[in-house]
Amino acid sequence: MPAPATTYERIVYKNPSEHHYMKVCLEFQDCGVGLNTAQFKQLLVSALKDLFGEVDAALPLDILTYEERTSSAILRICSSGLVKLWSSLTLLGSYKGKKCAFRVIQVSPFLLALSGNSRELVLD
Amino acid sequence: MVRFKHRYLLCEVVSDDPRCRLSLEDRVLGNLVRDTIARLHGTFGAAACSIGFAVRYLNAYTGIVLLRCRKEFYQLVWSALPFITYLENKGHRYPCFLNTLHVGGTIRTCQKFLIQYNRRQLLILLQNCTDEGEREAIQKSVTRSCLLEEESGEEELSDSGGEEAAEAME
Repeated sequence: MPAPATTYERIVYKNPSEHHYMKVCLEFQDCGVGLNTAQFKQLLVSALKDLFGEVDAALPLDILTYEERTSSAILRICSSGLVKLWSSLTLLGSYKGKKCAFRVIQVSPFLLALSGNSRELVLD
Repeated sequence: MVRFKHRYLLCEVVSDDPRCRLSLEDRVLGNLVRDTIARLHGTFGAAACSIGFAVRYLNAYTGIVLLRCRKEFYQLVWSALPFITYLENKGHRYPCFLNTLHVGGTIRTCQKFLIQYNRRQLLILLQNCTDEGEREAIQKSVTRSCLLEEESGEEELSDSGGEEAAEAME
């Protein structure tokens, strides 16, 4: 006896999020270098401009939060520009002659995901 | 099969100053385009576009330039052309702009387009002509180019096409 035909429904969930959120931290080789928010944004834009030129330096990039003490920030970039921003952060070597590096801690299309990070979870 | 594919951008240098076209040189123009791409698309764009980049043909009298670039990055080159605003030669700056006429996959298609374009330009010149002597000269060129068109007919335009374009220019 033939089994009743089952109907399948395929749901394709393409990422509808227009923005990607990155949690980054800027580390300097020698301590004692502090940047305020404007200088931090200037650094990001100049990194993009170096690698990808003026067209991509104008990507809609926002700094949602910035902590001056730890030099860590949460950035928002449109999804099409994520790869460009990440690669230009990777290749950024120095700020005003001082060696520095960007550490990318978390990347997610949802801002809520950045609130908890299982890597920093401390188990008692 | 496996070969590097290129795109050929046929452009026209338009300028108010008549000395601008005469000072066109392939190396100068090539460096100018490369600098503009570097400014606009950064080190990535400059490196990507300069691999297969070359100025293949340059006509100082008509201001026609044929640029070659790799197929994968021709849009980076094309988007950089409107940002060229001046030509520099021996310390003189001539404001100009590059008008892209045609994008082709081979030099031959660009040549075909250029021949048709030149014929149409001759007719337009004929209409706007003021001087009688000039008018006669242009009419002669037009009739000569029409005769050549009938002669070649269905033949493949290869070297003869280049001569036609040169004749149609005079």
